[in-house]
Amino acid sequence: MTLLKLATRRPTIRPNPLWLSAVAFLVLACASWAYLLVDSGSGFRELFQSETYQQASDFLGQLAGLDAEGTPAFLQWDKWMETGALAYDTLAMSVLAMGIAGVAALLTFLPAARNVATGELASSASLPSQALYYLLRGLFIFSRGIPELMIAMIVVFAFSPGILAGALALGIHNYGILGKLSAEVVEDLDPRSARALRTSGSSVFQMMAYGILPQALPQFLTYLLYRWEVVIRTTVVVGLVSAGGLGREFLLDMSLFRYTDVALLLIWYLILVVFVDLTTMFMRRLAR
Amino acid sequence: MRPSSASTTSPQASRNPRGDFFRGRGFLTLLLVAALLWSLTSLSWGSSPVHPGGLGSIGQFFQAAIRPDLSAEFLGLVVGSAWKTVAYAVAGICLAVGLGLPLGILASGVLARSPRVKVPGIAGFRFLLGAMRAVHELIWAWFFVAAVGLSPAAAIFALAIPYAGILGRIYADILNDVPDEPLRALRASGASEIKVLLYGRLPMALPDMLSYTFYRFECAIRSAAIMGFVGVGGLGMQIQLSLADLYFDEVWTLLYALVALVLLVDLWSSWVRRYLTS
Repeated sequence: MTLLKLATRRPTIRPNPLWLSAVAFLVLACASWAYLLVDSGSGFRELFQSETYQQASDFLGQLAGLDAEGTPAFLQWDKWMETGALAYDTLAMSVLAMGIAGVAALLTFLPAARNVATGELASSASLPSQALYYLLRGLFIFSRGIPELMIAMIVVFAFSPGILAGALALGIHNYGILGKLSAEVVEDLDPRSARALRTSGSSVFQMMAYGILPQALPQFLTYLLYRWEVVIRTTVVVGLVSAGGLGREFLLDMSLFRYTDVALLLIWYLILVVFVDLTTMFMRRLAR
Repeated sequence: MRPSSASTTSPQASRNPRGDFFRGRGFLTLLLVAALLWSLTSLSWGSSPVHPGGLGSIGQFFQAAIRPDLSAEFLGLVVGSAWKTVAYAVAGICLAVGLGLPLGILASGVLARSPRVKVPGIAGFRFLLGAMRAVHELIWAWFFVAAVGLSPAAAIFALAIPYAGILGRIYADILNDVPDEPLRALRASGASEIKVLLYGRLPMALPDMLSYTFYRFECAIRSAAIMGFVGVGGLGMQIQLSLADLYFDEVWTLLYALVALVLLVDLWSSWVRRYLTS
């Protein structure tokens, strides 16, 4: 029967969306490369010349402190202590950013889920809840679409430079990402336990607390930890603008050509990245 | 995000013996709250966090949101710089795939059979990929500018290096997760490891790999935009210039363009991913 159906089905002439996308991307890629290679200011030709390699190896030598007078910064104990304090600030900035993003997302991800807003789960579809859904989704799109660095440039208009300004910028951007991801978790979860609670007479609040959150929170935690791994790398970059932690010192040392100091900052940066990666690994084991 | 997240934990692992507080979620909650409180202590609570007059300028900034600069000549500039940002992102992703795919295959260790080659190979290439992605693309860009001078090519390479690190690591994970039975059939019929890779692993892993690459493309648009910070043209550079001149109406036009661009790529990539994974 099914075979017969398959055999007699008329072939539908519909372009496969994957092929369409592949062709579109290829066209885009060709146009981009053509634009970049034809444009003489793009610097691809200059990048493949022997002087470039000379310059690059000179720069690496300066980072390693080969031709610098005096002791390189990464061999001086007091320099380690100074920049260690900045690394401590950077770590605090990343944790504060995740705190801001996490708390804000926890407070708003339920009304931003489509099945909650339309009353599929809560059976309380109302105009305000629908309006709140669109408002929150718009907020997620905006805070997600603008990079942290640009939010930081705007935040420092009002806030004094420092840890708080940087954490706020990082927090706003990651709020959008966490909010979207966790709202999607609620949209994808199994609605049966929530419906069962609702039909057996529990309130909306009870249904959220016992039917939705226990399913959604572990996934939320995974996303939070994953974002923290990303954020610790970005904190240094936001520090360039918000003048907090390692970023400020990085800006200063690069501008003053103190390259061995830059190398020391890079070492601290990598220590922070590894530390956060190990911590999240440990925390994931706890969450299981 | 990583395709293999905690949703795949085995039922045995999720069962925590009750009473063992230091191995459970209660302890984790305590740790997270303690970390947040610790981060609050590092703030300077004495001074006011807000500038004198800072709230006024933020007010002006948000007022400009409803009247962005929509004059024809400025819109022309916006379209031009949006195209630059897209071109850098696309070129960066192309380079990142070209660099990340071979590195990812090497880091997955699927080409080697004897463990004497396999183990140091995996460790070495995984470490290389880790080092590439540990440093943020803007720091790479800055190093490129300091070492070889300012040019779009430098920004594209700076974008491609950390992205290749991420893509290579994910490619390696996906290639390792391919089911083994079809590969054993290939090996039994005498295929070399390269042929197993070409005719077995890669075709099976391709949908997941493409899907993740597309997700990264969306991130690349944002990353290409912030390259304006080191002086490379595009939306980020224009936003920075307009912010410095306090032309908030121009800033909003550019921000709307950037958000629209990111949203467009996001919709495209989620559309493609829906077809790839179903």
